[in-house]
Amino acid sequence: MTVELLTERARRARELVVDMAASPRGCHLGGSLSVLDILVAALHRASTGDGTEVVLSKGHAAAGLYAALHASGVIEENPAPVYGQKGHPYTGHPGPKVPGVRFPTGSLGHGVAYAAGWAMARRLDGLPGLGIAVAGDGELQEGLVWETCQVAAAQGLGNFVLVVDRNGGQNDGMVAEISPLPDLGARFASFGFEVSEVDGHDPAALSAVLSPDRAGERRPLAVIAATVKGKGVPPVEGKAASHYVTIDAARAAKWKRLIR
Amino acid sequence: MTLSGRDAYRDELTRLAEADRRILCLEADLGGKNHPFQLKHPERFFNLGIAEAAMVDMAAGLASAGFKPFVSTFAPFAALRAAESLKLTLGYLAAGVTVVAPYSGVSGAWFGTTHHCLEDLAVLRAFPGVVIAAPHGEAETRAVIAAAVASGRPHYVRTGRNAAYESLPWGDPVAWEAAGGELCLVSVGEEGTRLCLEARHRRPGLAHAHLPYVDHEHLAAAAVELERLHARFVVVEEHRAQGGVAEALALLMPTARVAGVNAGTGWPSEGGDHAEVMAALGLDLRAVLAAVDG
Repeated sequence: MTVELLTERARRARELVVDMAASPRGCHLGGSLSVLDILVAALHRASTGDGTEVVLSKGHAAAGLYAALHASGVIEENPAPVYGQKGHPYTGHPGPKVPGVRFPTGSLGHGVAYAAGWAMARRLDGLPGLGIAVAGDGELQEGLVWETCQVAAAQGLGNFVLVVDRNGGQNDGMVAEISPLPDLGARFASFGFEVSEVDGHDPAALSAVLSPDRAGERRPLAVIAATVKGKGVPPVEGKAASHYVTIDAARAAKWKRLIR
Repeated sequence: MTLSGRDAYRDELTRLAEADRRILCLEADLGGKNHPFQLKHPERFFNLGIAEAAMVDMAAGLASAGFKPFVSTFAPFAALRAAESLKLTLGYLAAGVTVVAPYSGVSGAWFGTTHHCLEDLAVLRAFPGVVIAAPHGEAETRAVIAAAVASGRPHYVRTGRNAAYESLPWGDPVAWEAAGGELCLVSVGEEGTRLCLEARHRRPGLAHAHLPYVDHEHLAAAAVELERLHARFVVVEEHRAQGGVAEALALLMPTARVAGVNAGTGWPSEGGDHAEVMAALGLDLRAVLAAVDG
């Protein structure tokens, strides 16, 4: 039942992301589509009401976040028609004016630390709830990510979860060619993290890895989620050129019919 | 015994935390051994390690959950290394986080260029809504910290290293030591105030206004008071001219004559004690008196 619900939310969110790519602003399409299933699952986890906070640290996937928030019922209005428009909070990188968003992200690395701070607060208050940061794999080139991992492990923040949307792409090309991340799981493990590797487009697997309350855990959790840039929209699926896309309405209508 | 600014901060926060369970003390490995907060409230003291930007960002997360984080590291590492985190946490989010920055100016003396910070006011003053304090002496530092706890607003508090001074009587936005005459000395921070007090010793008739807060909001209020009583000002601050308080006051008081005595444009790159390193940058009593006489 949960899988069906999350699948349907992700499908609806993909339509909205394509709509935002068809806005005058265009959007970071490939990364928004790769991270969607992770966001939908994480927001579903937060909807249990235990104080879990989801921070999209790869803020350039803002279109994906807005779509996921709307499909999940956190944002009432459809953000797509007003994305990037004057007088509306749906900017190209998200901030706290958007319902369901506490922290401004987009300058990479900061969201990881915000989520760790949130997790620390829950622990200090003796309360349940996770601090879930969703980062890109290219984002892991930022020093602040590892600075935060060092602190989170040292502080025993077992309720801090860092999900890596490992789509293999970054702004100017492929992570593997620009600044590769070999042995990523081992890297997190060496920092003192638990590591879980999942299919980042499998709602059941994502739900399973995010569902424990991790009460009593002392090791933070790194979830390396294998994803595909442009996932679910065949014309851009797996294509590095999908990083930032602006399309017209006719193409958007065609692409939405192809969503899978 | 009078405490230095940074020791006064530690002691006052430790005292205030007894009554306020939401206060947290975060350090980035420069809090020293036997930090009084750690001794008294170990469950709310966190040495997060050498991770300044992460510390400030995590403080945003903690403040978002209702805590009152006080984070401290040397001024160059707070205001410059973690500048973007300060922009987002103190500026954009207006989070109830206080950053306490010892080693401001060249108070690190012989420690060298990396450990000096003559640019922090310029950086922090560019972030709207941040309360910026440069207290002089123990009592004023305690008052600033208590006000930060009570206000819930983002604060940046700069202190020196080990110099310990008796504060002037509290005044906000202006602590007047003496008024009268055309010219008024305006002092900022520990050493700026020391130099103004020394100048008044040499020129007993001089007026002297000390500014505990130097953000735009406080300076605008201070300018109204200053302009009402004086027409010419010599602003003394351990900071560069660019982005400093004299520059700001000159804009706020366009009809007044505002001169600055500051650290100029040089790089502090030689040894010496604190006063000697300041003097090498042109910031000493002689410079203050020259500006007064000019």
